[in-house]
Amino acid sequence: MKKLDKKFIIFIVFMVAVLLVPFVVTNSYMLRVLCNVMIYSIIALSINLIVGYSGQLDFGRAAFVGLGSYCSAILFTTLHVPFILSFLAGGLFSALFGALLGMLCRYSSFDYLTLITIGFSEICRKVFQNWYAVTNGSFGFRTSRPEFFGFVLDTPASMYYFCLLILVICYIAIKRITKSKYGRAYMALRDDSIAASYAGIDVKKFKLNCFVIASFFTGIAGALMAHFTTFISPTVYTTDESLLELQMAILGGLGSLPGSILGAGILTIVPEVSRAAYEYRLLIMGVMMVILMLFAPKGLLGRGGVWDKVVSLIRKKGGKNENK
Amino acid sequence: MFLQHLINALSVGAVYALLAIGYNMVYGVLEKLNFAHGDVYAVGCFVTFSLLGGMNPILAILIGCCVGFILNVGVERFAYRPLRNSGRVAPTISAVGIAYIMRNVIQLIWGAETFSFDLGIFKAGSIDVGGVVIGTLQIYLFIIAVALMVIISLALKYTKWGQGIICISQNIETAALMGIPVNRVIAIVYGLGAALGVIGGLLFCQYYQFIFMGIGFAYGTMKAWMASIWGGIGSLKGAIVGAMVLGLAETMVSAYISSTYRDAFVWAIFIAFIIIRPQGMFPAQGAEKI
Repeated sequence: MKKLDKKFIIFIVFMVAVLLVPFVVTNSYMLRVLCNVMIYSIIALSINLIVGYSGQLDFGRAAFVGLGSYCSAILFTTLHVPFILSFLAGGLFSALFGALLGMLCRYSSFDYLTLITIGFSEICRKVFQNWYAVTNGSFGFRTSRPEFFGFVLDTPASMYYFCLLILVICYIAIKRITKSKYGRAYMALRDDSIAASYAGIDVKKFKLNCFVIASFFTGIAGALMAHFTTFISPTVYTTDESLLELQMAILGGLGSLPGSILGAGILTIVPEVSRAAYEYRLLIMGVMMVILMLFAPKGLLGRGGVWDKVVSLIRKKGGKNENK
Repeated sequence: MFLQHLINALSVGAVYALLAIGYNMVYGVLEKLNFAHGDVYAVGCFVTFSLLGGMNPILAILIGCCVGFILNVGVERFAYRPLRNSGRVAPTISAVGIAYIMRNVIQLIWGAETFSFDLGIFKAGSIDVGGVVIGTLQIYLFIIAVALMVIISLALKYTKWGQGIICISQNIETAALMGIPVNRVIAIVYGLGAALGVIGGLLFCQYYQFIFMGIGFAYGTMKAWMASIWGGIGSLKGAIVGAMVLGLAETMVSAYISSTYRDAFVWAIFIAFIIIRPQGMFPAQGAEKI
């Protein structure tokens, strides 16, 4: 009980600190970076659901970000649909394609699934780039900031709170999903899909709905990104971008939701800080990926990852001291 | 016109076949996705490229192959071997990491520009057969691809090493029990795969007459991977046929349907194909969970 209280207090302090950030940090560049962190956190969380919880390696998440972005931006700017509707439509549109991809992937295992996701993202990228009538092709698509009943979120601080709100909602929703029947089924089919099917879990159905749910959140993040940057360029949604997003989830720790946020934070802030080393960006990323996989394949906060090891090391040492 | 497209398709296919042979050999042994294949051999191609200025091209190609061989043996030793038994996500991610490292190394040493490329071995020329123009280079490429396939198939069948490789691809534990030096054979397969990749990559560059840092991933790994799966994993005949089908699909789509959406259509055809027949056209013998 005491431990739970402690956790709760830390959580409250953390939330208050996060809420106070716009009052302390008035630099709009810093706030923009923090907004980016939150948007990528949502993407990393949705990837965690697919890769971390149900064990499917998806290399095409950027396509779903793109689908959400374009759908929401086109509905809002071209067709003048109210913001909330177009925002949710971005997520639903993405989820629709998630269902399509999930249907295709139901019957295929690891390598084929990876290849299908890459292929799907390439197809989407080509369409974004060449369908001039709707997406304005390679010139990019311009949209505007979110607007509620006459209020426009055009200051950095208001955008910060909006991103934070969406992130918290998504986090809680994904947390609930992972604790529910669905989350346990995903973990079962990740660990051993044959055993899961013997335990009465409909593997194909759960694979499909995992894709749908995760794609919804990715689409929401995409819509948020579109209205945050107010400009969509089809050159963003490449396989490299998908790999970066995947890496956020892996760095944080597959199967750990706070880890995804931490991973997104690190991989968004470090490149911003080290702009001088831009030429070495891929090298640093590559070395990090290899070292991480060799020595800590569970990531920073995953079960049995770096954090757990550090904690158990400290506990061991503390125990020894007590014995002495 | 159709015949001309067919000839073009087959020669594009021959280029992809050269890339796919090396990839398929490695892929067939461990069945691990090798995302780094293209970027590792691209380093070898660039070494050859910078040696071409003052050296016999054949010697330069050989040195490039050796660089690719050594590089991939090293990569296998430090990035793949420790992860051989740790699921499928970890080795895939570490391969992506290696690919990034190699691409960045190329960018730092040679820069991100596109260079024009000519090996200087093949004389430019073409043969006119009843209105259809066939480049001599296209014929050479086709012959080289088939010759490599025949040589490798014979080596796999009639040498002790080749039988060892086949044995490992069927079952690693049993192979180790039979006294096959598993680690050494796998390292050599990776090395040979990269060396073949260097040859394929150089001929690719010769065909399109340019070289740049992106040849490894977009053209190497992805096309070779598609061709391998299309043809059947672990089968050399499959690699060549798969590459031909890939070339055919690309050329015919851009000729008759749409050249802007070429890649989208090819991917769509490809996805439809692997859903209908995931084991490829000529799968290697042995069961695989799909």
